[in-house]
Amino acid sequence: MSEAKTNETVRLTIDGREIEAPKGAMILDVARDMGIDVPSLCAHPGLEPFGACRLCVVEIQKPGWDDWYKQLVTSCLFQVSEGMKVWTNSDEVRQNRSVVLDLQMARVPKSDHIRKLAAEYGVTETSYAERDTDDTCIMCGTCVRACEAVGRSAIATLSRGPDKYVDVPNKDACMGCLVCANLCPTDAIPFEANDNGKRRIWGKEFDLVADERTGEVLGPQEYLAHIRKRGNNNGLRMPDDMKHESAKVKRFDYAQKLCRVAEVNEPVAEKVK
Amino acid sequence: MSKRLYVTPYRCIDCKICEQACSLTNTPVPGVPAKPRVQSFSVTEEMKFVSLCLQCEQASCQAVCPVDALVRNPETGAIEVNDRCIGCGFCVQACPFGCMDYDHTHNEYIKCDVCKGDPACAKYCPTGALVWSEKPWSDVEADEYAKKKKSTDPLTIALEMVKK
Repeated sequence: MSEAKTNETVRLTIDGREIEAPKGAMILDVARDMGIDVPSLCAHPGLEPFGACRLCVVEIQKPGWDDWYKQLVTSCLFQVSEGMKVWTNSDEVRQNRSVVLDLQMARVPKSDHIRKLAAEYGVTETSYAERDTDDTCIMCGTCVRACEAVGRSAIATLSRGPDKYVDVPNKDACMGCLVCANLCPTDAIPFEANDNGKRRIWGKEFDLVADERTGEVLGPQEYLAHIRKRGNNNGLRMPDDMKHESAKVKRFDYAQKLCRVAEVNEPVAEKVK
Repeated sequence: MSKRLYVTPYRCIDCKICEQACSLTNTPVPGVPAKPRVQSFSVTEEMKFVSLCLQCEQASCQAVCPVDALVRNPETGAIEVNDRCIGCGFCVQACPFGCMDYDHTHNEYIKCDVCKGDPACAKYCPTGALVWSEKPWSDVEADEYAKKKKSTDPLTIALEMVKK
């Protein structure tokens, strides 16, 4: 979403490599396009940049600055500019990332993902007091932004400061799509997706709709209703009594319909011979 | 005129070579086949059909996507899933032809992107039922293609050598 609409480009240097990037693009996106590995937990190309995890910090220097002066910025939120110099893996950057990971290790001692990332930056044990919890939420806000993106805004971050937590103040709006749980970088959102026709997330239980012919699970009632509403708002004809089918069944039905049309218009059987 | 994938059902023999070519070409992990973007069916004994994304002008998948993850590539005219996808699955339900799908092996949403302008299905189709061309082939063209394909197909050559 951060891509610029204009065709203007700027030239900048990332880790000594010169690159032309569209104006308005974020440093993180440009660096990743170049194949540079910038760690991050809260960045997702489809969601608004948020700058919560502070892992994607990079050092920048703009033209005209003193040679010794560099600035640390979160690359997911910082736009590229003409003549900018970027360092993604300098000592200063690594030092900052290790502090962030040290803090995260204290916050979520049970998270394997954080542990693995921290080990890459030489942090094997936290130097702060560990929180006594099984919770692995790092407050990156990915789930909240995703819920907003799909158009439900059921979950939100509540409270402030160290007591901040993610919960579901708008329980009715949750449609059980599991996008929040699937996008969570540390798998902190518990959910149950059983094959017996039930799905449970955020303390809410959903009845799953399955395809009549193949038995393939399509999703909860609320989820399908939301898609129909979304489709209708965007100029599609998706009536409330629309039949939801699995992709395979839809493909076969379409093939059958087309073949029936073909039979009327031209003698298919003869052509086969 | 730009190239398109043309399907001629009465030439299809439902050999599923297009599916194999597709799933081995479009897999993110080489060697682990993905779910094919193209599927062939035997509707009846005589009627076979290749189901393929139509790259609709006003696409339903695009209309419901909440994050603009489905964008048309101006070079090929095909709609492609980009990395903005958050995996909500709206597109799968919205597509009336079942051509948006979810690949459980690689956990990604898939659709035909005509292999970025060089579709493997058309390349390997032995009968000319699937062609990547500026216009649909005539029967004469398809016959010629099938004959040529047969004479240069390594498998056919190998089989004939074994027979001798």
